[in-house]
Amino acid sequence: MKVAAPYPEVCRYLGYRRGVQPDPETEALIRACTARVEQAAQPRTVSAVHPLTFGAGNGLELGPIRVESAALAKNLRGCEQVILFAATLGLEVDRLIARAAAGRVAEGAVYQAAGAALIEAVCDAATDALRAESEAQRWYLRPRFSPGYGDFSLTYQPEIVRLLRTPERIGLTVTDSMLLLPAKSVTAVMGRTRQAVACHRQGCQACGKTDCPFRRD
Amino acid sequence: MNLRDVLGRKRLFFDGGTGTLLQAQGLKGGELPETWNLLHPERIQALHRSYLEAGADILCTNTFGANAIKFPSDGPLALEAVVRAGVALARAARAEAGRTADAWIALDLGPTGKLLKPMGELDFEAAVSLYAQVVRLGAEAGADLVLIETMSDSYEAKAAVLAAKENCDLPVIVTTVYGETGKLLTGGSVASTVALLEGLGVDALGVNCGMGPAQMEPIVAELAACASLPVVVNPNAGLPRSVGGETVFDVGPEEFAAVMERLSAHGIHLMGGCCGTTPAHIRALTDRCRALPFFSPRPKHRTVVSSYAQAVVLGDRPVLIGERINPTGKKRFKQALREHDIGYLLNEGFAQEEAGAHILDVNVGLPEIDEPALLTEAVCALQSVIPLPLQLDTSDPAAMERAMRRYNGKPMLNSVSGKAESMAAVFPLVRKYGGVVVGLTLDEGGIPDTADGRVAIAKKIRDTAAGYGIPAHDIVIDPLTLTVSSQPDAALVTLEALARIGPEVGCPTILGVSNVSFGLPQRELVNAAFFTMALQKGLSCAILNPLSTGMMAAWRAYLALTGQDAQCAGYLAAYGSQGAQAAAPAAPNEAPPLDECVVRGLREGAAQAARDALAEGAAPLELVDRLLIPALDQVGRGFEDGTLYLPQLLMSAEAAKAAFEVVKAAMAGERRENRGTVVLATVKGDIHDIGKNIVKVLLENYGFQVEDLGRDVAPETIAAAAARPGVRLVGLSALMTTTVVHMEQTIALLRQQVPQVQVVVGGAVLTAEYAARIGAHCYARDAMATVHFAQQVYPRT
Repeated sequence: MKVAAPYPEVCRYLGYRRGVQPDPETEALIRACTARVEQAAQPRTVSAVHPLTFGAGNGLELGPIRVESAALAKNLRGCEQVILFAATLGLEVDRLIARAAAGRVAEGAVYQAAGAALIEAVCDAATDALRAESEAQRWYLRPRFSPGYGDFSLTYQPEIVRLLRTPERIGLTVTDSMLLLPAKSVTAVMGRTRQAVACHRQGCQACGKTDCPFRRD
Repeated sequence: MNLRDVLGRKRLFFDGGTGTLLQAQGLKGGELPETWNLLHPERIQALHRSYLEAGADILCTNTFGANAIKFPSDGPLALEAVVRAGVALARAARAEAGRTADAWIALDLGPTGKLLKPMGELDFEAAVSLYAQVVRLGAEAGADLVLIETMSDSYEAKAAVLAAKENCDLPVIVTTVYGETGKLLTGGSVASTVALLEGLGVDALGVNCGMGPAQMEPIVAELAACASLPVVVNPNAGLPRSVGGETVFDVGPEEFAAVMERLSAHGIHLMGGCCGTTPAHIRALTDRCRALPFFSPRPKHRTVVSSYAQAVVLGDRPVLIGERINPTGKKRFKQALREHDIGYLLNEGFAQEEAGAHILDVNVGLPEIDEPALLTEAVCALQSVIPLPLQLDTSDPAAMERAMRRYNGKPMLNSVSGKAESMAAVFPLVRKYGGVVVGLTLDEGGIPDTADGRVAIAKKIRDTAAGYGIPAHDIVIDPLTLTVSSQPDAALVTLEALARIGPEVGCPTILGVSNVSFGLPQRELVNAAFFTMALQKGLSCAILNPLSTGMMAAWRAYLALTGQDAQCAGYLAAYGSQGAQAAAPAAPNEAPPLDECVVRGLREGAAQAARDALAEGAAPLELVDRLLIPALDQVGRGFEDGTLYLPQLLMSAEAAKAAFEVVKAAMAGERRENRGTVVLATVKGDIHDIGKNIVKVLLENYGFQVEDLGRDVAPETIAAAAARPGVRLVGLSALMTTTVVHMEQTIALLRQQVPQVQVVVGGAVLTAEYAARIGAHCYARDAMATVHFAQQVYPRT
């Protein structure tokens, strides 16, 4: 998969406010480091469709995974299936970041931001492909919803990882503390419904954390 | 029949997939297939039976995921029972089929599902122990071999192989998964993986899973070209495809068998299937391929060293080994070792890598240092971020063994000599862990004056190694460079020995060239000429300083002159643009002053400005107080006002750091005044450390001494560091809601054990209120806030 990290997004992750342009020296650093991240990344994704059933209260069953989450239940309202999804940029991006830790912290910060922007772009590209595939079968796709959003706990990550067999298939593992490794990785759930619902809110608009420093306006 | 007696002498067939077939019988997604050894033993036994009837010679036990991570001791099913039943069911099926004499049971070991340190959380020895437990159980239960399969990390594969070899005498076969790029998921190539596994002494190796037989062809061809051992090919039934939520594989039995027949022409010795293949696939495969002509594997006699990512071959183009990670004669390097400054070593590595070194020598020997611990730590740090193979350089066999065990690849070893004691210490290590060892042509009688004498020692080293099962191609002979100023024929003797070692001893050669010029002026002139002469005599590799322009020029010119640099591309890439650069007008007066360099984040400029200022007589400390600190303050204020952003703050911090390095050197090892010691750590469970690293650089710039404990640090370790005399501040970072709990535990422990120490915390999920609630003395929203708090804790007296 060949995907680029959009420059404005990298700047946003670095804390630049909208409309502020980095000075030329910084811009050169950002562009060079972003290119290195794009070169090092080996984006891989994996997904599987599972039946979705709603239980009592905020209980849900995503295939064999039982979940308790009001936010996810709301996101999946009206859906009959879910796509479980995982993506990673691979270990070489982690190595690039680790390499910079030995005294190149400015590069490290940019690698970090470029990695974040790139994994988002990879997820978006993969989601677009899944959406097209779903729509061809007259399924409509809800926006991605990841463990850690709202009350959808990070503790569901091991189950998603195990069900998708991500360690063997894409090299994605989860630690005892529920961190994904390689670090630039995502797990997510996407609802599938037969009902066409236009203009679903997504991304920052759908997030309750309004004081987030990275929030898009 | 012992498998070792037939391996590589006749074609053998593995069985096929398990998971997909069990799913068809009702195994649920997310359910562990190994549980069926106890819950539905009859189904597992029947599956084995059907593979035997299809013609398989080797059955893989249903124990792929049987390890203590997936079957913890407090879980519903005991790991012991799962593994024992797994082996017993395969044995029962074999007895039932009447194949006891000519079918073998492979104890199947898959990946742990965890990533190994330092990139991940699982310690290497913990991984060895996890596998060792299963190996002991499986061997006791009567397995005939150990199959380590579907490995996508060479380091984890090494842990599993060591566990197998240390806990049983069974043959060991390893197959790894390659992606479309021809690399392991963790970056290894076919050549690097083969070097590692052959070095470890496995019995056969190959590829499984990941893709179908057709997509595997380039990998298979490369495996057959590099490997001296029997090659295994166990593909999936094509690429997995998701249909209506189910994973399906499209390649049917006949097509599978037909492609496998084509692949067998590359030279493969064991074949079978992986995901999506069925007894029907194995039936078609054995029918079609059993009678094909068989060719035993041929030894390749290649000298190869490897890292996690790359293989470097000695004996083709001359190879450069960077010598700079070595304290001999370097005050600043010794200081770094004493201060445990691993970052300094890494930067020496990066510089040599960028200069074009192919292998890095690593020597951290100092009399007052725990060399086994430090060498291992340095090797682990270097190999996690530098793709070049390493040469472990130590005269302490204990240090060599520890570093070899942890090395992720087939290392180069420096060195063994012709002394009996040296060979008895080093060769068993090479035998166990694999490696290419440098053999010095000296022995109890010293260094022979003649080429005859040195060639004789080389032969002795080679022959003694052979007694340990170490082939000649894993020995690189160093005919030793002596000083030409004290012994006029020194260089000639070395060159003669060098020329004779290839043809007479059959080993590649190595030299450290710089000794030759000892005591002479303009040493690089002599070194470069001697290096060229040695290359002309067939030198395979040289230990040198890749930052030396003269040596690199000699090497590049030699390659161009000997037709080893196509269209002189390497030469042109190195020197082609220099004419243009030289023509550019020099503008020394336009160089910005030190404080401006720091504000603008110009690293090279800041270092140069500091050098210039010192050369003009400025006092080192005055530079710090009058220029560096005010410039840093200016940038820090801009960052806090929101007029300046993080990358600029960091570029300035690095520029200042580069200037401080110059100042430090000018103070000749004397330390800058220590404003106070700050212990920094990313808490247990958390591996995100960039925030902590940023804080570290800024604190150091402001004159604090930072004790950096790294990431994923246990509360006890942090408390112990905080208890050292003089420490008054600890900084902790945590990025995730799931790791903040460890921050809270750490603070509780610190408050109890070292109540006099203040704690500052930071990290994405923290807020001031939350920080107060978990008992921190200060919440720092960014790195500058931490600096301000540190200044309060350690007020200037």
